[in-house]
Amino acid sequence: MLHSLEQFGGALAHLLSGWGILNVFWATLLGIVIGALPGLTATMGVALMTTLTFTMPHEQAILVLVCIYVGAIYGGSRSAILLNIPGTPASACSTLDGFPLARQGLAGRAMGISTSGSWLGTLFGILCVAALTPILSEVALKFQSFEFFWISVFGIVIAGTLAGGDPLKGYIAGFLGLFIATIGQEPYYNYQRFAFGSTDLAGGIGLLPALVGCFGVAEVLQSMRGPVVEAVSSKIDSVIPRLEDVFKHWRTILRSGAIGTFIGILPGLGEDTAAWSSYAAARRASKEKEKYGKGSIEGLMAAETGESACVPGAIIPVLTLAVPGSAPAAVLMAAMLIHGLNPGPNLMLQTPEFFYQIIAMLLIADMSKLFYGLTLVRPLLWILLVPRERLMPVVFVLCVVGAYAITSRVFDIYVMLFFGFLGFILRELKFPMAPLILGLVLGDLLEKNLTRGLVLSGGSIAPFFTRPMSGALAAITIFSILWSIPGFSARVAGLFRRRSPAPS
Amino acid sequence: MADEPLPLLPHEERLPPRTDLWIAAGFFVLSAAILVLGWRMPTYADQGGQIYTAPGLVPSFYGVVIGLLSLWLGARALRAGALGPDSADHERPDSGNSNARFALAAGLGVLFIVGLIGRMPFWIAAAIFVTLFVAAFEWRPGLAPKARARGLAIALIEGVLTGIAVTLVFERVFLVRLP
Repeated sequence: MLHSLEQFGGALAHLLSGWGILNVFWATLLGIVIGALPGLTATMGVALMTTLTFTMPHEQAILVLVCIYVGAIYGGSRSAILLNIPGTPASACSTLDGFPLARQGLAGRAMGISTSGSWLGTLFGILCVAALTPILSEVALKFQSFEFFWISVFGIVIAGTLAGGDPLKGYIAGFLGLFIATIGQEPYYNYQRFAFGSTDLAGGIGLLPALVGCFGVAEVLQSMRGPVVEAVSSKIDSVIPRLEDVFKHWRTILRSGAIGTFIGILPGLGEDTAAWSSYAAARRASKEKEKYGKGSIEGLMAAETGESACVPGAIIPVLTLAVPGSAPAAVLMAAMLIHGLNPGPNLMLQTPEFFYQIIAMLLIADMSKLFYGLTLVRPLLWILLVPRERLMPVVFVLCVVGAYAITSRVFDIYVMLFFGFLGFILRELKFPMAPLILGLVLGDLLEKNLTRGLVLSGGSIAPFFTRPMSGALAAITIFSILWSIPGFSARVAGLFRRRSPAPS
Repeated sequence: MADEPLPLLPHEERLPPRTDLWIAAGFFVLSAAILVLGWRMPTYADQGGQIYTAPGLVPSFYGVVIGLLSLWLGARALRAGALGPDSADHERPDSGNSNARFALAAGLGVLFIVGLIGRMPFWIAAAIFVTLFVAAFEWRPGLAPKARARGLAIALIEGVLTGIAVTLVFERVFLVRLP
């Protein structure tokens, strides 16, 4: 314990030395601004900054990205409360009660609730990262190719099933992402798959240009296609969080923190699912259900705590299994790989100091978010009033720079443009984006583990189902698919109802 | 009070069955193409390679799964009446979306990437793109000449400032190479 605290203190001191503090302040501020501006998301912010910070030392670059991620998820609630427009998909839930509070002249109090809920949620998640990561890492060290194969498939399936919307389209998006990841040289014979003689395609589809396209360019196009947003200014009372709001809703905070962190750990779901699930659970347990949707402090607290607890939660599977818990965490994982870190079960063995650094980064970002939450009110209102016609071309230019930055290939700019259009079309056709991203990120892991497993077993698929952990993962994956078939969940529920004793 | 359902996110709304049928057909064609191309890939069996490491195996597996899922989507659309007379795309309530605005944004983006980048210094290309974008989207018919000139001046200033700022910040501070 003392050794761990010593390591953590060392990580804090290391991160905050030199340019560290400055990086924390500008990155969290940039994250909040990105999150607050409708049309710009946390994933886009992290993807853009990954490419633009890759010349930095790895711990400073990851610190910047964690601050962007934490800041953006929090920043989305500002526009949700003040403009009734979610700054990020994660803060859509906050509009339900945040905006009614603002209309009642309680915008400041709503922002105070958002700040305290978000700060406590992330803090809860950080504690879970510290407690669960070493345990999960030890379990994951026992995994072989068979288990890693199923974890990758499970990630795609669970993201498709629970990301919201049509699970079937979620699965298709996931396998489309996996297919795209096979383009280029394969790992055994360097055969150029689907390259059609192009040396650029033979090099493979760059993950980050694809992500910048899907989340940057597609969002610019979608934002410009959408209706003009009318800015609504609101009278702002004090934004200092009230202790009574925190103490009165401690059960909601703990419940939402646990739900948010758990959903973060599940691959590919992310902050929007965490916010909605926390909100729904709080409403079910509430004694004041009628206030929900009309300015419920409890509802806003639940949504904010849940989405912010999800951020550290989504980093847990990155550190333990090399499987991201959300779309921004997928980009963060890609950034770790670019910087030569090795996320996954071996991380705790090879670079244990990085585990403490990640906890320190999350804590620093959370404290920095609290600072801005209490001070940054008026300037953010001005930023929210910048018309999209003037903002989006600048974002587009940054996307181009971001796509080009890592490998300096003009081809990557074309990849970004292609994925921008692909992401736009898929969204219009109601395909969720999280499974697609997960497929792109997990493609390499899945292929290597599938073929390695088959080679180890001499071509038999039996070990994929008969090894205890592998079999359990297979069963959960298959059950998740069956659960999304209409009628199956109702029949299972009916089965349990029939078996339960009839009331006397 | 009974729990009311929570509002749907944009991607949670359902499309008309006929649209889903077309999507299913598109993905089925894609899966067939993947399978054909995967089948044509070498197996390296003559070099002692095992079938499990054949380059086409994994993409073909994905192709099969995408094909099965597209059949599932198609069957579901047919059951929902995709071929029926009422399944044509219903007129959706006015969402305020504009395809003209989308086409303009997409066209300017393509012009920037294909037509400007690489043909001139990046800061000039960025300045031209941002100026054109702002000017095009803020163009209002029937505006007084003075107001129009002011709008164009703002667009030009924003374009030049963006070009210079992006170049300075990313080339000098972040040490990133620009296209």
